[in-house]
Amino acid sequence: MIELTRVSKRFGDETAVNDISLRVPKGEFCALVGTSGCGKSTTLRMINRLIEHSEGDITLDGQSIGAYDPVRLRRRIGYVIQHTGLFPHWNVVRNIGLVPRLLKWSTADVQARVEELMDLLGLPVVEFSHKYPHQLSGGQAQRVGVARALAADPDILLMDEPFGALDPITREKLQEELAKLQARLHKTVVFVTHDMDEALKLADHLVVMREGRIIQQGSPLALLQHPSDPFVESMLGGLERGLKQAALTRVKDHMTSMGPTLPAQSRIPVNFSLRQALSMMLRDHTDRLTVVDQHDVPIGDLSLRRVIKEAQLDKGSIRE
Amino acid sequence: MSNALGAVQARKQAPQWRWPLVWVMLLVVSVVGMPAAEPLFHWIEPDARQVVYDRADFYVLLGRHLLVVGIAAIVTIVVGVLAGIAVTRQRGSDFLPLVGQLASLGQTFPPVAVLALAVPVLGFGTLPIIVALMLYGLLPIVRNTLAGLQGVEGDIKTAAHAMGMTPTQILRQVELPLAAPVILAGIRTSVTINIATAALGATVGASNLGDPIIAGIVNGNMAYVLQGALTIALLALAVDSLFELLQRKLHSRLSAP
Repeated sequence: MIELTRVSKRFGDETAVNDISLRVPKGEFCALVGTSGCGKSTTLRMINRLIEHSEGDITLDGQSIGAYDPVRLRRRIGYVIQHTGLFPHWNVVRNIGLVPRLLKWSTADVQARVEELMDLLGLPVVEFSHKYPHQLSGGQAQRVGVARALAADPDILLMDEPFGALDPITREKLQEELAKLQARLHKTVVFVTHDMDEALKLADHLVVMREGRIIQQGSPLALLQHPSDPFVESMLGGLERGLKQAALTRVKDHMTSMGPTLPAQSRIPVNFSLRQALSMMLRDHTDRLTVVDQHDVPIGDLSLRRVIKEAQLDKGSIRE
Repeated sequence: MSNALGAVQARKQAPQWRWPLVWVMLLVVSVVGMPAAEPLFHWIEPDARQVVYDRADFYVLLGRHLLVVGIAAIVTIVVGVLAGIAVTRQRGSDFLPLVGQLASLGQTFPPVAVLALAVPVLGFGTLPIIVALMLYGLLPIVRNTLAGLQGVEGDIKTAAHAMGMTPTQILRQVELPLAAPVILAGIRTSVTINIATAALGATVGASNLGDPIIAGIVNGNMAYVLQGALTIALLALAVDSLFELLQRKLHSRLSAP
């Protein structure tokens, strides 16, 4: 668990981070969102002491980070940055194995761990082991960056706009893989981004920052439903908010059981979002979809009225 | 497959050795065979009684020349690289401008002036020329060490730091290997310049390949001057091409094999 209590950071006269408090429980994915210069990266770097905070308390599992030796602390925390920071003179295997080697693992253990991670991140060992960073595409390089961060199996993972420099298609793919990875590994993640869609897609807990302060924090759905001020609302996409909210709501929670009427032509898998359902309705010029399970067996109905009604009902109660 | 690959690499590497070999062999031939070229030098300097410099054997002069340049190079490399490292650390950053300026100052001083100043203090002989070469050769090494270390991308250093590497580990495993090609280029410049500059040592009694040149100028014997100049030029070319080879080796080791 990471806990920041009334933390501030001043550079000379300038206050980069101003009196923020934040709690990230074990296994939770927390996204810090804001425009550039809002202090989100500074906040991230204070957690692994790349930057020392000026005021307040930062604790990991209840112990103040000041009590740790900074070098030991960092070896326990995974870190991923935008331009990967891979060492250009080391091949993929050596780059990934960095932290385990620093921790003096045996050569065999390091090798086994590196191969396990390459497997996990979809980097075939035979193909990539001996490649150098300049021989990788942006997406591949960032996979290596994530593998390096995970190498010593840290509980905490800090990610500083890790997908910011990637093309949209690669970015989306890596976002999906990160979500899957997180569902498997349950790391405590702090993720910095200026891309609200990315944050909404990945985060359990969303923190909106502006000029060094936290403006609002909560679950993505809670923020979408009740943005506390116009800035948060504009960050959340203004009029697009309805669609973003729909993107976070599953078809499963809104379908009705199969009625006596003939099933509709268009079929939507049960684990899709309401946003995808709406899109399908627009595409197929229909106001009714048949919901199917993973074996393509019809299990329910979803009507446009249902989608709209449920969305309205949600306004009152915050659901996740 | 690895055999085929090895063969391709061997074929690619063979020409790399060609020029260093050519220059080293020409150097050896000229040093050993200088007396044999007497007829040629007679033709150049028909009036002189003596046309091949014979107060010392050329290989002895070459050895002394190399010794002077070598000692100066080792000292400048150690001092220059260490100074460059020291002022790029956080604690030494206050001295960064000072060291840069001192190194530049060393090179603006003409070596002859250094010799003139050093002789009264250090006496005649080899020591003043070593001091002059050290001062003169320091700048390229300091400058390139600074450029090399400062050229390492900030992201890479941040990542190294964030992964939990200690400052010493970052320096040895990340910064120095990445700066090595630039530092080596500085050493190459420094040593090559100093091979030529070392000839000035002959004026203060440090016997080396400058001797025939000085003797030739004093006696008006062009053949002597030519012999000294030719040997120094071949030595400079040989050493320079060896450095080039080293740089290429380093480059291929740092990038993909």
